Amino acid sequence: MDMEFTEEQRQLMNTARSFLEKECPSALVRELETSDLGFSPGLWRKMANLGWLGLPFPDEYGGYDLGVIDLVVLGKELGRVLCPSPYIPTVVLAGGAIAAAGSEEQKKTHLPRIISGEELIAFALQESGGSYSGRGIKTTATETDGGYVLSGTKMFVEFAEAADRLLVVAHTSGDADSTDGLTMFLLDAKSAGVKLTPLSTLARDRQYRVDLTDVKVPGDDILGPVDGAWPLLEKTVHTGVVTLCAYMVGASETIHHMANEFAKERIQFGRPIGSFQAIQHYLAQTITEIIGADTLTIYAAWALDNDLPHRTIVAKAKSFTGDTFKQASSIGAQIHGGLGYNEEVDTTLFLRRGKQYQLSMGDSGHWEDVIAEELLDN
Amino acid sequence: MNFAFTKEEEAFRAEVREFISGAMTDEIPSRWLGGLLDTPARQDFVTKMADKGWLSIGFPEKYGGTESTMPLAQYVLNEELHMAQAPIVGKNLGVVVNTLLHQGSEELKQEFVPRILRNEIQWALAYTEPDAGSDLANMQCRAVLDGDEYVINGQKRFITSAHFADYMWTGVRTDPDAPKHKGISLLIIDMDSPGITITPIWTIIGERTNDVFLDNVRVPKERLVGEENKGWQYITEALTYERFAMTSIAPTVRKFQRFVDFVKETEVDGKRLADDPVVRRKIARLSVLVEIGRMLDFRCVAMAVKPDYVPYIEAAMNKMWGGIVETEMSDQFLDILGPHGYLWKDREANASEDALLDGDVADDYLWAGHQRVAAAGVDISKNIIARRYLNLPSS
Repeated sequence: MDMEFTEEQRQLMNTARSFLEKECPSALVRELETSDLGFSPGLWRKMANLGWLGLPFPDEYGGYDLGVIDLVVLGKELGRVLCPSPYIPTVVLAGGAIAAAGSEEQKKTHLPRIISGEELIAFALQESGGSYSGRGIKTTATETDGGYVLSGTKMFVEFAEAADRLLVVAHTSGDADSTDGLTMFLLDAKSAGVKLTPLSTLARDRQYRVDLTDVKVPGDDILGPVDGAWPLLEKTVHTGVVTLCAYMVGASETIHHMANEFAKERIQFGRPIGSFQAIQHYLAQTITEIIGADTLTIYAAWALDNDLPHRTIVAKAKSFTGDTFKQASSIGAQIHGGLGYNEEVDTTLFLRRGKQYQLSMGDSGHWEDVIAEELLDN
Repeated sequence: MNFAFTKEEEAFRAEVREFISGAMTDEIPSRWLGGLLDTPARQDFVTKMADKGWLSIGFPEKYGGTESTMPLAQYVLNEELHMAQAPIVGKNLGVVVNTLLHQGSEELKQEFVPRILRNEIQWALAYTEPDAGSDLANMQCRAVLDGDEYVINGQKRFITSAHFADYMWTGVRTDPDAPKHKGISLLIIDMDSPGITITPIWTIIGERTNDVFLDNVRVPKERLVGEENKGWQYITEALTYERFAMTSIAPTVRKFQRFVDFVKETEVDGKRLADDPVVRRKIARLSVLVEIGRMLDFRCVAMAVKPDYVPYIEAAMNKMWGGIVETEMSDQFLDILGPHGYLWKDREANASEDALLDGDVADDYLWAGHQRVAAAGVDISKNIIARRYLNLPSS
């Protein structure tokens, strides 16, 4: 057993931390909440120049061949400053799906463009009334001459308006309750029949409802096997979930640190409020939960990197880390007293994201159901 | 980053399992966490492990130790022992041997360490007093040097192994005028010494602990561990070994797995408990809490094997989490069992015929409360984390 990061991983962590502290202050996070795109193309280019967008891809396409643990190292740093970016949908999910299921032609076309930051791909999996999984997908793809026609509605699609392409998961056969018969399509985001409706979210990030009305997609835009998407996609989805966990761990560490420092300085009843046990015990329990979430996230990444059974462990990681970030942001604001709920204080940035991320990419209940299936149904 | 055990460690685990399945009898399992060596059967079991050299793994050969290339051997061994509810090797080794090796005189090391590693002598740890619980440094049991001997007067409370131990590892006040942390020393007291009176205290689950009264007990001054008035430092360092060795997540994992098997094969109102959506969410939620316990355990162990590193904070986090999970888990399990949950055991520890899971869950529920407070419990652990790790000001 060895719980240390490698020298290279520590280097990535240090570089990312100093870069992001400078390039992504909370003023930028606030500014992006009201911007059209919801992320900074300039910062995205710089992230590409640092090589971050190529982390998980094979070197023959310009990537660095690194593992999920490396994504966790970077994800934590992105989360520490609440960096808004399409990193998870474009690099980890869409890029990951292309690397796992794409044809040689598709990999050559898209991966280098993702790595250079030229191409953005939005990831359209979940639907209303469906969980974050291959179940509950009502969108259908019907074969026509030379291609498919897609119809349905996708929800919670991040950065869809800025995206060049949409990765849409649809049923070519099978029914909505099943993960059988699913196929991935990598369609042009500007295709006729694609309608985007912005969603106002707690985190004020850019999410859309995507209505697909008889969208014609050429056969070349099929990604991976027809009817066989889910077995290939599940691991990619899990990798995305673990990267979000890392982001939440980083964010939790920041809000905890803010509250901890505030508690040392804020004087009430003639002494720092951090000397009161009520405050101390909140902070002590929360930091323990953060460290537990951190270790479990790294454990899940390690399991993915080593091709070990990972379904339950990813489920546990998302369930616990989501709860932890929610709790850390909630306690963090509470320790700041009235100030903590003041728009211009950064606690509110965390408070809004803490609850949203707990619910996104599978809420705790969804992942608990996954755990229960694994524990109780075999 | 690697969460796997080595091939050598896994082979050792297999060897331990084989040993346990051969040496285990019905008389050995104990409801006390970590198992007391209070009966001949349990002592024999541990002596058999000592004969295999398993008590001495990683300690210097000079004092009867066995060199090992496996830093996690002791962890693996205890994990398997916990899973079998067998006595673990933590208390004597963790606290007494580690402290003696770090702080004791050469004479004390030679006199005691080899005998402990052969399981020839049993120990009681005696810090707590009626007025020194959470505020452990408030201990008042007085030791006064008189010629070549200390003379001890006072009372120790919740001294679990006192009624069968050979020696008592005792915190005493040697300087009543110094600040309370700076006037404490550690003495080794022979339990046969005149002036010792032991009276039982029975816990809520019917296990024995003790009050120990010391009335002019005389101890040779050579039995002082380390330096006079530095006892508090030694005790806090050693509490870490105790928290680490005795609060493994393994017993929790064992109880959780047993309960999962139970809900899979039990029906209520004609439906499998495992198909009840509320039960499913509860079990899933608990499995996450147990998994976090395992992660904090891993961290503690990974840090503990680093040279010259005392995992004080990691151990406190582990201890805190263990108390939280055990109380939460046993309470939820009883809720799932419904009225059968309160079918308990009689005074001879026999479960009533209709009890489910031998009435153990009710025991666990009562016992979990004890775990929240024993050996610096949940709240004291939070104090430690707040002050020592988060650098929050003292009140």
